Amino acid sequence: MSDPGASGAGLERAAASAVGDLSHVDDSSQKQGKPRSLWSDAWGELRRKPTFIISLVIIFIVVVMAAFPSLFTSVDPRAANLDNYLKTPSADAWFGYDVQGYDVYARAIYGARASLLVGLFSTLLTVLIGSVVGIFASYAKSWVDSLLSRFGDIFAGVPFVLGAIVILTTFNSPTENPSAVRIITQVVLSIAVLSWPVSMRIMRSATLVAKQQDYVKAARGLGASPLRIVFRHLLPNTVAPVLVYATIALGAFIGAEATLAFLGIGLRPPVVSWGVMISESRDYFQAAPHMLLFPAGFVTITVLAFVILGDAVRDALDPKSR
Amino acid sequence: MSRSRSVSWLAVPVALVMTLSACGGGTSSDSAAGGNEDGTVSIYGTEPKANLLPANTTEAGGSKAVEALYTRLVGFQPEDGKTFNLAAESITTADAKVYSIKLKQGWKFHDGTEVKAKNFVDAWNYGAYAPNAQQASSFFAQIQGYDDVAPAGEGATPTAQKMSGLEVVGDYEFKVTLKGPFSVFTSQIGYLPFAPLPDAFFADPKAFEAKPIGNGPMKFVERTPNALIKLERFADYQGEDKVHFKTLDIKIYSSQETAYQDLVGGKLDFMEALPPSAKIGDKHKADLGDRVLNANLLGISTIAIPYYVPGFNNLDLRKAIALAINREQITKTVLANSYTPVDGWVPPGIEGYEANTCADFCKYDKVKAKEYFTKSGFTGKLTIQSNADGGRKEPLEAACNSIKDALGVDCEFVGATNFGAFRQIVDGKQLTGLSRSDWSADYPSIENFLNPIFKTGASSNDSAYSNPAVDAQLAKADSTADKNEAIKAYQEAHKLIAKDLPSIPVWTEKGIGGYSKNLSAAKLTFKRDGQLSAFRVKA
Repeated sequence: MSDPGASGAGLERAAASAVGDLSHVDDSSQKQGKPRSLWSDAWGELRRKPTFIISLVIIFIVVVMAAFPSLFTSVDPRAANLDNYLKTPSADAWFGYDVQGYDVYARAIYGARASLLVGLFSTLLTVLIGSVVGIFASYAKSWVDSLLSRFGDIFAGVPFVLGAIVILTTFNSPTENPSAVRIITQVVLSIAVLSWPVSMRIMRSATLVAKQQDYVKAARGLGASPLRIVFRHLLPNTVAPVLVYATIALGAFIGAEATLAFLGIGLRPPVVSWGVMISESRDYFQAAPHMLLFPAGFVTITVLAFVILGDAVRDALDPKSR
Repeated sequence: MSRSRSVSWLAVPVALVMTLSACGGGTSSDSAAGGNEDGTVSIYGTEPKANLLPANTTEAGGSKAVEALYTRLVGFQPEDGKTFNLAAESITTADAKVYSIKLKQGWKFHDGTEVKAKNFVDAWNYGAYAPNAQQASSFFAQIQGYDDVAPAGEGATPTAQKMSGLEVVGDYEFKVTLKGPFSVFTSQIGYLPFAPLPDAFFADPKAFEAKPIGNGPMKFVERTPNALIKLERFADYQGEDKVHFKTLDIKIYSSQETAYQDLVGGKLDFMEALPPSAKIGDKHKADLGDRVLNANLLGISTIAIPYYVPGFNNLDLRKAIALAINREQITKTVLANSYTPVDGWVPPGIEGYEANTCADFCKYDKVKAKEYFTKSGFTGKLTIQSNADGGRKEPLEAACNSIKDALGVDCEFVGATNFGAFRQIVDGKQLTGLSRSDWSADYPSIENFLNPIFKTGASSNDSAYSNPAVDAQLAKADSTADKNEAIKAYQEAHKLIAKDLPSIPVWTEKGIGGYSKNLSAAKLTFKRDGQLSAFRVKA
């Protein structure tokens, strides 16, 4: 996972065309005889997709895992017993034990929470900042638009891992031992700061197209205030591509969390996250591969589920591609 | 020398050597058996904490370079630490109090000036003088007049600039008068702070720090912070410990594991310690074959319990923690049998070692530990601080888990990113919990395991321990002229310390190092250094 922002690259163009299609949606549904909105149309499409169902099920399980880990395991993830040093998977411990005698299965389950929280909050923040700036830029005067776009380019231009290293090491001197909440906040903020330009570009290009639609012009002609136009007319019609980006990005950000933890600058013990587990196991890979493979598998499957979900949603929201 | 050399290694960039010899015409495959005298050796290193002045270097990172840059009066045999004369022609004394030291003539500093008696005397005075704030200043404490240049107590101003016990007799002779008889002195002068400094240092200390000039087998070439310290053979070196390669690269690593990969891959030539992961299931033996090095180490790992942390000045708590660590199990599992448990503050192998000094409390006993803990009334959370690199984290996290399990108190390992940052916390007395406090001997003597660690205000007194009875007993031992009597006196002090538990002895390392396929020979010393003079680069 090199750059969680990269997944949004193609979405920008798609966003413009998707919004362009919106105006035709009503026409096409009239032909079918039943008037359907873009959303109900998409839902009908999605329901029939096996990949959508599968990814949704996986995500549901991961979310339940994060919310109620005790449903899955009764073992304390921080209970160490060196009698079990590096024991391989068995009926007692499905994923085996790690170097401290921790139960890998229990830790993988409890690790979901931190990983998911980071993914969720980073996505929320990224989309929020990006959307607000994006709409404002496309709706404002053109010099403001240029200024904001270039400003976003500055952040987009910084390689993600490099930027995160700089941010996280600047705010945590080596002698400090930051608290779990502080570290999670910092990781979330650094991901958001480095990724928001992607969602800004998507929102901006979607809005630029939507702005030219007749209903927007009509609303403006009727004297609607810019705020009303943005919230009543633009947002509902531009949110779809950003939503698609958000779904894919959420997966990517979970991967980013693992990357940063692996480098030793993200979440760190005693917080249990998948990235922390991977980081702790790298030195023991040859002696005890199960220490690495299980948390890595959880990350892979979760990221994959979000990416597939994003793909399915994009296909459904883009009637042209059918 | 100090704190945790566990992380040092030497390696030789063999790739370069091979390329060069390949350019030489292709058919000269069988060169001299002595190896390639112009080869390069790269060794594992960690970032030095301070400048490369001998009296300011008490940690492993810097001492690796400083050891090679400066030659002291005596050297140590790599196997058992017996001393032999290097810069000294002779060291004579009648009463173990006044020493007469004659130097060999014709020895030179790297800038071409000759090594004279005044270079030693000036360097020692500089190192001891309190306003110079040299880290190893307390090593001169045995010399008469030390209290005038470095008076005890906060804010006390020195009344003299030079120690009265040092007297230059001639260009190649000086006399040292100690405060009292101190038989360990002849070993002590082999330690880094007792190195001489050239006139160039006193003329311009700032310039000297940037490019140190020593009298050792290697001279300074360049230093790239956090990456590399480059040294080169000093052609005019006279000592018997001269090196048989040209360039020494001390490569700075932040992780032992990375360095180990380089060692196996031939990109690094020597490591004086291997990461825990390499020792699991004897992996290193499979990786390195007969290129594994072993040595008896004169070191010990303890966990300091600083007296200045609120709630820690509590003997019952100390006993509880000491009893709660399952040393046997941790050394067998997490430490992969590369360490053995200890039961005192002086490791086996040191003359004067006594088994079971801490036997009552340094054995795992969950029930007794809990009893003492309840008695201590301690509430709150325990932490163990250390640098997290160099394989430090795993055993201490395991110790923490053991304490947590036995005492039912929350315990957490707190890592600093590197050794320098960690020592800053410790030296600045800014610990907020327990702390790793490892020691490797500068010279093989029971004295070196007690004085620098447990004397009030000593250089590596990480716990800020102070017991007048211990100080008095150590002073008495220091001034005992007869060696055997002195050892007995030190043993008494050792027993006094065991009653207070200023730190908790945990384990001692078996020295396991290794060298790359680019070298044909290497040697590990009791101080866990590479014996550079024993290194041979393959031709």
